[in-house]
Amino acid sequence: MKKFLIALVMGIAAVSSMAANSVKVTVNGMVCSFCAQGIEKRLSKMDATKDVFVDLKKKTVAVEAKDGQTLDAKAISAEIVDAGYDVVKIEPVLQSVAEIRAELKARK
Amino acid sequence: MRRHLGKICLGAICALFSLSALCGPMGFKDSWMSMGDVSPNWQEVFVNYAFTARDAAGASAVVMRSDDGIKTRQLTEATYTRLAKRWNMPEAQANIWFIGGVGNITGNDFSGSRTMSSPGVQVDYETTRIYASATSRLYRAQGLNHDFASARAGFSFFEVDYDQTQPWFILEVRRMRGLTDKTEVTPMLRLIHNRYFVEFGVNNASQARMNFMYIF
Repeated sequence: MKKFLIALVMGIAAVSSMAANSVKVTVNGMVCSFCAQGIEKRLSKMDATKDVFVDLKKKTVAVEAKDGQTLDAKAISAEIVDAGYDVVKIEPVLQSVAEIRAELKARK
Repeated sequence: MRRHLGKICLGAICALFSLSALCGPMGFKDSWMSMGDVSPNWQEVFVNYAFTARDAAGASAVVMRSDDGIKTRQLTEATYTRLAKRWNMPEAQANIWFIGGVGNITGNDFSGSRTMSSPGVQVDYETTRIYASATSRLYRAQGLNHDFASARAGFSFFEVDYDQTQPWFILEVRRMRGLTDKTEVTPMLRLIHNRYFVEFGVNNASQARMNFMYIF
């Protein structure tokens, strides 16, 4: 039983460490490709950023952290606001940007 | 309801008054924007650098010609662009811009060069499917008045992801004092893809026009 519990805990830890560390941001005012370019460029320059995806129709910006790094939600929010847009909601998600992109595209 | 009415009014204002060759007169912070507007009577190149999210400095050169081809003007100026106000809405964005320039103008009907100032205002309203803008700009120098106004409105044919090419139909109406008595009307096809944007059209004088913009 003890061995089983240890294996279970190790398994959960392994899965959670493999799950992507991302944030999904809902942004107002982001309506054109130039808006998206600006936000993508600014967020891509952040040290912890691995990948960025912008969906204009869903008003969503997704940012994924590099392995072993943590995203700073406040800093991401500040970058978007500084680019000229309003952040409505920011939430951590255990999905990669590729998964978020696929999910949002599937909803269209 | 009140907020909704406000958005409708703002959109209507933007549709009624519009001026500017392109969707926004500056790019995002730390970006360079290059723009061009080319037709037989008007050739303009414009470059600016956004040193903040709301301010850009640059330079432009414009060659203007009267409808009969007799009078010409060449204007080079330093420009400043300021995003005076932005409204970020869930499905739209609206802006008020200040655009100003100071430079030298020469012409073939006067000697030497004169200092020209060109303060102006642009308002625009945009969603992922609808665009409207209005611009009014004074072009003044000693003995010269080439004030300019334009309005643009249009729609995209369909929604795309931002990294795909989006085609738009845009109708522009513009007028300038001193060189022409006619109002130029140009229906245009606009293509936006990533960092570039091009427009092609033929105006009501059967002249071809092309606009471009690139952000880098």
